[in-house]
Amino acid sequence: MERDRSITRRTFSAGLVGLTAKAGSPIAGSFVNDSFPIGHRLRDRLPFKAPAQRVLMPIVVIGGGIAGLSAAWRLNKRGFRDFVVLEMEPQAGGNARWGENDITRYPWAAHYVPVPSKKSILVRELLEEFGVLRDGKWDDRMLCFAPQERLFIHGRWQEGLEPETGPSRGDREQFRRFFARMAEFRASGEFAIPRESAPAVRSGELDGSTMQAWMDAEKFDSPYLRWYVNYASRDDYGASMSETSAWAGVHYFASREPDDKGPLTWPEGNGWITRQLLARLASYVRTGSAVYRIAREGNRWSVFTESAEFVADAVVFAAPTFLAPYIVEGAPAAEGFVYSPWLTANLTLERPPVENGAEPAWDNVIYNSPGLGYVNATHMSLASERVRNVWTYYWSFAEYAPVQARKMLLAKSWNEWKEAVLNDLARAHPDIRQCVSRIDIMRHGHAMIRPTQGFLSRSAPRIPRLFFANSDVSGISIFEEAQYHGVTAADKALETVSRA
Amino acid sequence: MSVVLFVSVLLIAACGLIYELIAGTLASYLLGDSVFQFSTIIGVYLFSMGIGSWMSRFLSRGLVARFVTLELMVGLVGGFSSSLMFLAFAYTEAFRLVLYLVVIAVGVLVGLEIPLLMRILKERFRFKDLISHVLTFDYLGALGASILFPIFLVPRLGLVRSAILFGLLNAGVALWSTYLFRDQIGNAIGLRAMCFTVALALCGGMILSERIASSADDQLYADEVIFSRTTRYQRIVLTKWKDDLRLFLNSHLQFSSRDEYRYHEALVHPGLAALPGAQRVLVLGGEDGLAVREILKYPDVRSVTLVDLDSDMTALFSTRSEFTALNRHSLTNARVHVVNADAFPWLDTNTEPFDFIVVDFPDPTSYALGKLYTTTFYRLLARHLSEGGLLVVQSTSPLFARQSYWCIVETLKQAGLRTYPYHVYVPSFGEWGFVIGGLRDYSPPATLPAGLRFLSAASLPDMFVFPNDMLPVAAEPNRLNDQALVRYYEREWKEIAR
Repeated sequence: MERDRSITRRTFSAGLVGLTAKAGSPIAGSFVNDSFPIGHRLRDRLPFKAPAQRVLMPIVVIGGGIAGLSAAWRLNKRGFRDFVVLEMEPQAGGNARWGENDITRYPWAAHYVPVPSKKSILVRELLEEFGVLRDGKWDDRMLCFAPQERLFIHGRWQEGLEPETGPSRGDREQFRRFFARMAEFRASGEFAIPRESAPAVRSGELDGSTMQAWMDAEKFDSPYLRWYVNYASRDDYGASMSETSAWAGVHYFASREPDDKGPLTWPEGNGWITRQLLARLASYVRTGSAVYRIAREGNRWSVFTESAEFVADAVVFAAPTFLAPYIVEGAPAAEGFVYSPWLTANLTLERPPVENGAEPAWDNVIYNSPGLGYVNATHMSLASERVRNVWTYYWSFAEYAPVQARKMLLAKSWNEWKEAVLNDLARAHPDIRQCVSRIDIMRHGHAMIRPTQGFLSRSAPRIPRLFFANSDVSGISIFEEAQYHGVTAADKALETVSRA
Repeated sequence: MSVVLFVSVLLIAACGLIYELIAGTLASYLLGDSVFQFSTIIGVYLFSMGIGSWMSRFLSRGLVARFVTLELMVGLVGGFSSSLMFLAFAYTEAFRLVLYLVVIAVGVLVGLEIPLLMRILKERFRFKDLISHVLTFDYLGALGASILFPIFLVPRLGLVRSAILFGLLNAGVALWSTYLFRDQIGNAIGLRAMCFTVALALCGGMILSERIASSADDQLYADEVIFSRTTRYQRIVLTKWKDDLRLFLNSHLQFSSRDEYRYHEALVHPGLAALPGAQRVLVLGGEDGLAVREILKYPDVRSVTLVDLDSDMTALFSTRSEFTALNRHSLTNARVHVVNADAFPWLDTNTEPFDFIVVDFPDPTSYALGKLYTTTFYRLLARHLSEGGLLVVQSTSPLFARQSYWCIVETLKQAGLRTYPYHVYVPSFGEWGFVIGGLRDYSPPATLPAGLRFLSAASLPDMFVFPNDMLPVAAEPNRLNDQALVRYYEREWKEIAR
């Protein structure tokens, strides 16, 4: 019973009194899930052990991320059982991997799926199977709880990502005009998800320039709007708007209906979907199975791992497409496939930090930060009081050329990255160092494809009986594209097998 | 030399004004009506200064020694003025008397300062220069103090420590004077020893004042604070004024013992009395045990489960006599089980059915609390209702937060419940609202337990009638992913607080 008139909402967390951690307690942690040692062996064509056994396996799926697991889901659903999914890492999931500690599960990369529109048939089919969609209604425990987003700007947190404190009337007018332009593009129907489901692209000229050039041409010069659009580009594509195709930049805003309050999310992010898929498909998945060579053998492929050689009628190549030239016999270089490196850090917090302004949200972004902010892993908890927590912090290095950023990613020590992350967060949470007990850091060298200028005309190499399925084929690294291409490749592989 | 001399004037002028401002601010905080408080305090203070100036003519010999003693007295009385007033407010009935006595004492002492100092300095300057310099520095000091006070002193140090700090300044001026005018005093050592004693006392006060400062200075309660504690989740303060006990959590009023019976009878009986034979009751929130007290008036109720997050709170209400007298030891009753858990996850991991559920959470002031008012939460509650069971939700004020109130009703409807909104007048809160929800039809009970102080079966149906200014308004339901209620609530209370 609380009958007071003063509003405490904005100072809610400050009300958690008496919670103090020891100052200066050491912060534990390490690099985790490093994948570059095997990647670099492939790149440098170092020798691998020859397999001891040879297995006939009609379909081999390479890569156990969302694309590969979606291919498996499709094959299994169509009653096909003679296939295997080979995953290089000890844990399946790719960008939808997750971690877990005594507080919560947490994501290592992808952490949400936008509420799919009626047109996203495959996503709806999958989510219906998982019980997320029942009788046309989304499970309200999986739709992101309020408040969804907040922004730290001019010294305090505000609700929502669109800057509210600071912009002049002119800035606001540009926001309004920008969203009106995006609504026009949305109405055209060609910015669809998955991309291939759209009618023919008519605004192809957009792809000929960068998002930055388009903003200039449209006279969008408000620094607040440009930060906002650039943030979207860095967040979804890992590239700043000067490196992103204008078509892709628009796609971010024009591809989704703004009505449904989403997105769908879980403590472990898209790791939840991986877990559901694995609950059904784990028997097909072999983790720790790096494929180091795919060679032609008559009308078949020989797929080599260190434990077995699989002789397959068809291969679904769901690993990143840029790997193909290093593994697949006769595969040309993947021209134009540029990937952004990422760093993600999972921080264990022993208590909530001090802060100023709007309540903690699911997605928490710092204005003009080089990082992308952090996602709160316990946000989807039903509990009202959460003292300990896990934050997933994202950093996409959009301002660097990918090669340079990758070098930097490997050159700096865990301690240096830890400090960089804490320094960024300290701008919004001055006492963050007293709250954090552990920081684990994951370095993704090729985290996501960049939809660079002209990406619409880019395509994966065409190789008989080998079907590329990674989301990078579409140029947009999102769950829906990964699933769509995984399923499409599985269908093609099945067709090949039935002909054989 | 001359500038150094006049710096003392500046400092003592600043100190004098600070004490006056402190008295005015404190009186406004504690008594309200700031225009009246400031006017009377400034008047009394200036008048007292006049008395001091007049009295200065009776001081003739050993002027420097007297000035040093005077500074020490100002330092002591002024330095401890706010502590003294806070203590008087907390422990006596005579706050006003102490307030004006302190104001008069400080005023008289401060009134003595300048005439005395001018007489000490008169040999060194021509009269016109003396007057000009002294008054210039006097007004300069006043300006500095008046700017420093609202910008730095009140927000950073608080009233208690600000006063002590300026008391130390007075003591500093005294000590300094024993050096400046050492040729005009006999026993410098003795005076200096006094200066250090006073400074020491003030420093001690500074350390002790932390306690006064933390409990009284930043959480000003209208009544005497008889108990306060900080638990893991909140700060609990209990105040008492005559027979009125008031409980505050994080400085929000939870109940007043004078009228809580109205609230708790209205919360429990309209629902529970309509369920003859109800045996299992669940209370969410309600850690004060007052709703449970009402529930225990039904001999048929076999078990009451109270779920509340804060074990310190439930322990307090089970043991401390002020509380157990009020809740009649309800929390230690053999029929009552206290579960210290977060309500939403607890319900989610539990399948136990209840005949009657009382939902008595804090108002939805944040998204974290707003979760407990969502369609998802109410659907979960409905799953815990036995066949024909009812639930009741405290739903903020249908008068002050009309759309918030009807938003809660709409949310219950969206969760598949039939709703029966009603309201009651609780003097310390104003017009307050509740909603009964159930899967079946409800009609108000014809009989109530004996011995209720507020409710009667005859008046009960009137509570379900809403006058024009509280009639339903359109509202979105409150959902986990779109908490309309928190937005309504913030807007509506902001309008009231304006």
